[in-house]
Amino acid sequence: MKRYRYLLKKVSWSAFTILFVLILNFFLFRVLPGDPVKAGTHDPRFKKENQEAMRVRFGLDKPVINCFETLNPIKVGDCWINPFETQFFIYIRNLVQGELGISYHTNGPVADILVERLWNTLLLIGAGQILSIIVGILFGLFAAWKARTVIDYSALITGLVTWSLPTFWLGIILLFWGSGHGFPIGGRITPGTSSYPLSYQIADIAKHMVLPTLTYTIVYMGEYLLVMRSSLMDVLSEDYILTAKAKGLSTFQILKDHALKNAMLPIVTIIAINLGFTVAGAIQIEAVFSWPGLGGAVYEALERRDYPVLQGVFLLIAVSVVIANLIADLMYSYLDPRVQTE
Amino acid sequence: MAVQTAELKPSVPSSPLTGFWREFRKNRMGVVGLVMLVLIVIVAIFAPALAPYDPETSEGITSRDIYNPPSTDHWFGTDDAGKDVLSSFIYGSRVSLIVGFFAAFISIVIGGVIGIVAGYYGGRLENILMRFTDTMLVIPDLPLIVVIVALTKPSLLNIIFVIGLLGWTTTARVVRSQTLAVKSRKFVLRARAIGAGTRHIILHHILPLVLPLLVVNAILVISLAILNESTLSFLGLGDPTATSWGQMLNFAFGRGAMSAGAWWALVVPGFGIVWVVLGLTLLGHGLEQILNPRLESHHLMPGRPTVQTEAVDVTGKRSDVPVLLDVRNLSIHYVGDGQVAKAVHNVSFQLHEGELLGLVGESGCGKTTLMMALMRLLPAAGQIASGSIRFGGWDLATLKEDEMAEIRWKGISIIFQGAMNALNPVRTVGDQIAEAINKHMPGLPHGVVNARVLELLDLVGIAAEHKDHYPHQYSGGMRQRAMIAMALSCDPQVVIADEPTTALDVMIQAQILELLDDLRKKLGLAIIFVTHDLGVVAEMCDSVLVMYGGMTAEYASVDSIYNAPRHPYTQELLKAFPDLSKPEKRLTSIPGYPPKLNALPDGCRFAPRCPLAFERCVTEMPRLHELNGGHIVGCHLVEEKS
Amino acid sequence: MSDEFILEVKNLKKYFLAGRPALFSRTEQYVHAVDDVDLQLRRGEVIALVGESGCGKSTLALTLMGLENATEGSIFFEGRDITHLTDRERKSTRQRIQMVFQDPYESLNPTQTIEEIVTEPLVVHGLAGDHGERQAHVVRALEDAGLKPAEEYMHRFPHQLSGGQRQRVVIASALVLEPHLLLADEPVSMLDVSIRAEIINLLADLRESRGISVIFITHDLGTVGYFADRVAVMYLGRIVEIGSMREVLTDPKHPYAQALLSVIPVPNPRLRRKRMILQGETPNPIELPVGCRFHPRCPVAMNICKESDPRLLPISETHRAACLLLAK
Repeated sequence: MKRYRYLLKKVSWSAFTILFVLILNFFLFRVLPGDPVKAGTHDPRFKKENQEAMRVRFGLDKPVINCFETLNPIKVGDCWINPFETQFFIYIRNLVQGELGISYHTNGPVADILVERLWNTLLLIGAGQILSIIVGILFGLFAAWKARTVIDYSALITGLVTWSLPTFWLGIILLFWGSGHGFPIGGRITPGTSSYPLSYQIADIAKHMVLPTLTYTIVYMGEYLLVMRSSLMDVLSEDYILTAKAKGLSTFQILKDHALKNAMLPIVTIIAINLGFTVAGAIQIEAVFSWPGLGGAVYEALERRDYPVLQGVFLLIAVSVVIANLIADLMYSYLDPRVQTE
Repeated sequence: MAVQTAELKPSVPSSPLTGFWREFRKNRMGVVGLVMLVLIVIVAIFAPALAPYDPETSEGITSRDIYNPPSTDHWFGTDDAGKDVLSSFIYGSRVSLIVGFFAAFISIVIGGVIGIVAGYYGGRLENILMRFTDTMLVIPDLPLIVVIVALTKPSLLNIIFVIGLLGWTTTARVVRSQTLAVKSRKFVLRARAIGAGTRHIILHHILPLVLPLLVVNAILVISLAILNESTLSFLGLGDPTATSWGQMLNFAFGRGAMSAGAWWALVVPGFGIVWVVLGLTLLGHGLEQILNPRLESHHLMPGRPTVQTEAVDVTGKRSDVPVLLDVRNLSIHYVGDGQVAKAVHNVSFQLHEGELLGLVGESGCGKTTLMMALMRLLPAAGQIASGSIRFGGWDLATLKEDEMAEIRWKGISIIFQGAMNALNPVRTVGDQIAEAINKHMPGLPHGVVNARVLELLDLVGIAAEHKDHYPHQYSGGMRQRAMIAMALSCDPQVVIADEPTTALDVMIQAQILELLDDLRKKLGLAIIFVTHDLGVVAEMCDSVLVMYGGMTAEYASVDSIYNAPRHPYTQELLKAFPDLSKPEKRLTSIPGYPPKLNALPDGCRFAPRCPLAFERCVTEMPRLHELNGGHIVGCHLVEEKS
Repeated sequence: MSDEFILEVKNLKKYFLAGRPALFSRTEQYVHAVDDVDLQLRRGEVIALVGESGCGKSTLALTLMGLENATEGSIFFEGRDITHLTDRERKSTRQRIQMVFQDPYESLNPTQTIEEIVTEPLVVHGLAGDHGERQAHVVRALEDAGLKPAEEYMHRFPHQLSGGQRQRVVIASALVLEPHLLLADEPVSMLDVSIRAEIINLLADLRESRGISVIFITHDLGTVGYFADRVAVMYLGRIVEIGSMREVLTDPKHPYAQALLSVIPVPNPRLRRKRMILQGETPNPIELPVGCRFHPRCPVAMNICKESDPRLLPISETHRAACLLLAK
C-alpha cells in the first residue's frame, strides 16, 4: 500500500513537471523578444498557403487571451476569456494530436522530422551509454577495490581528465585523427549505398558509429567511474562489510553479495540524471560528426534559424528526460527496500 | 561510546584555517589544480603583455597567411583569418574565464540563497523551493540554454545571464542538504537554547559550516559554466565580438581547418578549455578530499603481515580445564603517515572451555583492537607486531588470509555492537544468517539451512515471521538478538561479544545478558565479553582482564578483581563506578585522560594519572607480575611489596 | 503560584504528529512524547529524571526550555507563565534557564574558539558592555567550571580539548548568564566512566555555591545517587514514581521502577539479586495501551489495570507512585 502511494506520488510529480515544460515551451517561444512564431509567419521562406494554415492552426489569429464578454464564459480579472479559444489551449490540443508545427526549412511537419531522427539518436546514445556505463563501472570497481594503489590513482586521474574534456572538442580531435586513418568523416551511411544488401549497410553504419560512440564513451565514462569508485569505497567502509569478512566470506563473495548492490544504487540515479546531460552531449557529437539525429536537427535548426524544429526538439528532449528520471526513481525504489517505508 | 581526543599541547593554537592549509598542502591533486588555475589566470590578466600579436587588428594580413603551420613567427600557426593562434588563445582565455566566473557567481548566489532559506526555514517554503529546484534539475540544461540564447541576442552579457540563471540547481541542493545537516547539530540547538535569533544563528553557525561545501560546489559550477560557454560558442551561439576558445573552435571547424590539416587551430583552443576545467576539477576534488574526507581505508584492503616472534611463557596454568584460546605477548601497532602507534602492548590471557572472560577498559585502551586482531580483522594500517594466538593447534597470528577465513565464524565468531549498519540493509536477516551456514557447511539442502535459521531465531527469541524482514524493520534489541543468532550459526567454540549492549536500554540489556548467559550454559560456549560496564562484568564474568592504554593492568578471577584489586587503575575505576546497592556513595574520578596512541610515555602508561605513582613509574614500564591464584598485575608496586 | 517553587509544571503534554501530514488521511496519529506531567522544583533543589529511551525525558526538557511548544498544560517559572511565549518574550527567561546537552563533541561549534563560545550568550543578550567586562565574565565562568587557568583555554578550538573539558566548556557557557535553573540532559553518558564523577561533582558544587536548581536527566540511575534530592521515574511520557532519592532508589513501589532497579548491574560479584527482567520492548508512544500504560509488561498486573489509568497516588508525604496496587 505504501509502495503504491509512493509510485503515485512520483508519477503525478512527473506529470506536473511535464506540464511545466509544456508551459515553459509555450511561453519561451511566444514571450521572448523577437516572437519568432509571429515573425515566422512573415518569413519569406514560407509558402503563402502554409503561412495562412499555420496562422489558423496555431491560433495566431486569436489573441493569447481575448476579452470579449458575449461569447466567453469565464472571467479572469477584467477579462472574459473562453479558455478554448486561447493560444495556449490550441497549443496543447495540437500537441496532443502530435502536431508540432511546420519546419521553415522543409515546409513539412516537424513531427515527421523528429520521428525520423529519433531512432538515429537512440542508436548512438544507446550504444554510447551502454559502453560508458560498463567501462566506467568496471574501472571504478577496480579502483575502489584496489584503493590507494597505482590502479586506483591512474583510474582516478583518467576519470578526472576525461570528465574535463569538452565533448565537441574530443569529437573534433578524434575525427581529425580518424579521417586520416580510414574512418568516415561524418554521417551515418556512406552516400549512395542505400540500395546495398543489409549486411553491408549494417557494417557501414557500424563503421560510421565508431568514432562518435568512442567520443561519447570517453566523455561519459569518467562520471560513472568516479561515482562508482566513491560509492564502492563508502560501501566497503561500512560495518556490514566487516561483519561479512568476520563470517569468513572471501573478498570475491563479499564484493558480489554485499557490496555491489549497495554501491550500484547511486549509479542508477546517476544514469537517469545523466540522460539529460547525455542529450546535451548528443547535440555536440552529432554536430561534429554530422550524425542525422535529434542533436543534428538542433544544430541544423540553429544554423537555419528554423524555430519550429528547435521548439519541437526541445519539447521532445525535455519530456523524454522527465520520463527517464521517473523510470529511474521507480527502479531505485524497487532496488532499495528502505525507500518505501520512507 | 566515549572517545577521548587530542592531548593539550601548550603551543600555538591551530585554527581550522591554518589546519586546513596544512592539509591542503599535502594534497597533491589540489595543489596541482590550484597551480594550473593560477597560471591561466595570470595569462588572462597579462594578456596584452604576453600575446605577441593583437588579435583585433588585421593589419598586414593577406590570404597567404591563412592556416599557416607553426613557425618561429607564429608558435602555434595561424587561423582561418590569418591571425596568430597563440595570441587569440591568450586573449580568448579572458573571455572564457570571465563568462565562467561571472555566470557561476550568479548561479552560486541564487542557489546559495535558495538552499539556505529552504534548509533553515523548512516547512511549506522548503517544499515549494525544493520542488521548483527538482523540476529545474530534471529539465536538460543545454537544450534549454540553446533555445533561450537562440531566441535572444547572442551577446556576452546575455550568455552570462542565461548560463547563470540555469546553473544554480546543484548549488541549491548541496546548500540545502548541508544547511539541514548543520541545523540539526547540537550546537545550533544550544544557540537557540541560549536565545539566539535566526540572523545570529545563520551568520555564526550555519554559514561557516556550509561554506566549505559551497566552495567545492562553486568550483564545479564554474567548470560547468566554462564548458557550457564553449559549447554554446561552438554551436554558433557565441558572441561574435568576443572570441572565446569555443568561438575559435567554431570558426576553425566551420571554416575548413580539418580539410586544411590545420590541427593547430583545433588542438590549441580546446587545450585551453581542458586546462582550465581540469585545473578546476583537480582543485575541487582535492578540496573535497579534505573537507569531506572518506575513511583512509576500507575493510577489503589487504592487511599487513604479522611479525613472527618467539612466544614467552608468561603465566602458569590457572585451572585444569582445557584452554581454547591462548594469547601470548600480543602487541599490535598501527602504521601510517610515518608514525607507529603502539595500540596494544604485550597482552596475554587464556580462555578456557565454558569460561566467560570480561575485557574491561575505557576509550583508547585497545580492547577492540585486541579483539579485531584475534580474528585478523585489523584495518589496513594495523599490524601484529609480536606474539602468538594459539587456537585449535594453529597460531592465528601467522595464518594466511584464506586459512583464516576457514576458522572465522566456525571456530571463533563475533557479535558486534548492534549498530544499524552491522547488518546489510538491503538483504533480509534470514538471508544473512543462512549465508554464514552455507559458507562453512556447503552443500546442505535449502530446506535444512532454512530450518536451521528458524531454529537459531527461535533460540534468541525472535519470531519466525521476522526471518524475511530487513534489518531496518527490527528494533535495536531485536537486531542484537539477530547478531547473536548469526554468531552461533556455525557452532563456534569461542564467541567474542564486543560491547553488545552498550547502545541498548537497561531493560533490553538485561534481556540480552540473560540470553547470553543461558546460551553459554546450554551450548557450552566460551565467551570474551568486551565492555566498560563494571556492573555487567561483576554479574556475568568468571575472570576479568583490565586494560589501560593498550596494556594489561590486571588479570584475575572476578572475585579477586572486585574484592582485592591490586592495580591502582582497577582500584580507582571501582571507586568511580556507581553502585546502586550503596546509592549515597560519593563517586570519585580519575583526573586527566588516556594517553594518545602516538605519544605514549616511556614508563607506565597510567603513571600520569596514578595517585600512587613514584619516580620509577615514569621511566620504566612495569612488568607483569603473577600473584598466587593466577592473579596478574602490571604494576611496580606489586613488585616492591612481594 | 507560590514563591517557594522555582518551577511548576502542570498537566504538561507534548504531542508530535506521527509521520508527515498526509493530504488524505482520516485520523492523524500522534507520538505522545510527554503525556500529562506534573512537576515542582524548589530553589537549589536537584531532581533526577530517569527513564529509558522514548520515555519523554528529553522532550520534557526541550519543552521546558521553549525549544518545543507545549501541546497542552502550563509551565510556571519563578511565578511567570512561560508556556506559550514568543521567542522575543522568552529571551529574558532564557537567561535564567540554561541547558547542558549530552554530546560534548557536537555541542560546540568547531569553528569557534572557546572564548567565542562562552562569550556568545553575553553577546546574544546584550550584556556586559565592553570587551574587557565580557572577558572577565568569561574567565570567571570558565574557572567556575573547573578550567583553570582560563587563559590557557580561551584561544583553543573544541577539537583540541578532551571530552570532559568540552563538557566543562558547555557548562561554562551556561553559567556565564548566571542561570537559576540548569537542565542537564544526560551530561555524562558519553564520557568515560572514570571522568563522569568530575562533571557530576562540578554540578553538585555549583548547586552549593550558586544555589542553582538542577533537573538532571539520565538513563543511568547509578549516577544520581549522591547528587539528587529527589528522583522521578518516567515511562511512556508520564512520571510513574516520584520521591526522595532514598525512597525511590531503595524502596521503589511502582513495578516498573522496581524492575528497572533490579536489573541495573551492580559491581559486586557476590551479590546475587532477584532480577525482574521485563519481557518485550517499550510499546511505541503512538498507540498507548488502554488503562495503565504499563500493564502489558507488568508482572503483577490486575484486571482493573486494563481499564483504569492511575494517577500518582501517595505512599508517604514525599513519595508517590502511579500504581493501582497502592489504591488497595
